[in-house]
Amino acid sequence: MKLSKNFTNPLAANNPVIVQILGICSALAVTVKLEPALVMGLSVTFVTAFSNLVMSLLRNGLPSRIRIIVQLVVIATLVIVVDQFLRAYMYDVSKQLSVYVGLIITNCIVMGRVEAFALGNKPWDSFVDGLANGLGYAFILVLVAFFRELFGSGTLFGFDVLARFGYTNNALMLFPPMALIIIGCIIWVHRSINKDLQEK
Amino acid sequence: MAINKNSNLYIIIYTIVMVVIVGALLAFLATSLKPQQEANVLNEQKVSIMKAFGEAELNFDDVVTMGRITDGQFVAVEEGDVAAIFALLGNRKALAEAENELPIFQLDKDGVTKYVLPIVGKGLWGDIWGYVALQQVEGNIVITGIVMDHAGETPGLGAEIATEGVQKLFEGKKLYDAEGQFAVRMQKGGAQNEYQVDAITGGTKTSDGVNAMLATSIGKYESFLRGAEAEVEADTECCGECCAEEANVELNNEEE
Repeated sequence: MKLSKNFTNPLAANNPVIVQILGICSALAVTVKLEPALVMGLSVTFVTAFSNLVMSLLRNGLPSRIRIIVQLVVIATLVIVVDQFLRAYMYDVSKQLSVYVGLIITNCIVMGRVEAFALGNKPWDSFVDGLANGLGYAFILVLVAFFRELFGSGTLFGFDVLARFGYTNNALMLFPPMALIIIGCIIWVHRSINKDLQEK
Repeated sequence: MAINKNSNLYIIIYTIVMVVIVGALLAFLATSLKPQQEANVLNEQKVSIMKAFGEAELNFDDVVTMGRITDGQFVAVEEGDVAAIFALLGNRKALAEAENELPIFQLDKDGVTKYVLPIVGKGLWGDIWGYVALQQVEGNIVITGIVMDHAGETPGLGAEIATEGVQKLFEGKKLYDAEGQFAVRMQKGGAQNEYQVDAITGGTKTSDGVNAMLATSIGKYESFLRGAEAEVEADTECCGECCAEEANVELNNEEE
């Protein structure tokens, strides 16, 4: 029961991007097309899941004075692993993502979950928590990229969708501010469904 | 005796062990993935060159002759030397400083010979680079295609040089004006003649960088390009003589 709640909570009711407003920077930068957005989302999911797992395993022997340094080393290592694999096997996507893969290190979601959850919970719970938070982030990225690619380029995953209906691409969708506006709209819809999130 | 987790000794040992493990892991990973990553970079260079030729669907290895320009002469590259050329293309600083033994790529298709040269320069914020395809037409050299990329030009302004829209503008532009001066350039205020290309609005510094890049990078090949130009003229003369000879033969035949 607790485990499944751990998993579903970050996907919707406590989504890291649209409720906690974390990880916005990369959400603006890599959501022009679906493919890089999806790869970015999965990369972050990998990093959050395994940094949570590793830190949870280390939590009992961890000297609290160098806690943050150890977290950074673990997270940075995982990010380098992702970056190296993308360069080797998904070169085009890694070029599009450019610096944003490296910047996963600074993504607040990753360190936030390690500090808030993994250091106080068992490894398996922590892994699930990291996985769910990463997927919650990935879900929003893909959703934003869906609208931006569809209306900005008339394609989805590079396949023509709207062009065949005589749609003229709206270049405005390709600019970063549109990502912010779309996220704003998603937050609006999300809060009107989940009324308990609305501030009084 | 319980270990004091906040003692200096514990922290130092903990850190050392952690760093050694992580270092070994990353070193192993980097070494094992390196061949694949290098293959990707090599493939990208080949694809860019084929794009500059305007033959993106052809396979580089099948159709392109690699060479070096040594003292104004085209010298084909031997098999074992291919890697050195691509290594040079990947090293922009060395490429910019190279004065002799310059890399060049030749493609013969449908009786037309085109050359691709690497170009490197500086934009506003960082390096710009690319490949330009050239062809001799009527005693001049014409750009038939160009691909450019950049390290950090301003998106929407200078970064536009990496887009197809801007690169298309270069097609068909002549390198040398009537006086034989290097004339192709991005012109602020719009192209006025067959040597000029519209500069990028708001990207003047990058456009200037492109001009400097074209002038210096192509300039190094000038003796070769001029030679090629002269060769074409010589060819036409020869053909003229051939025609004259043929005409003579015909006349002779008639006499007989």
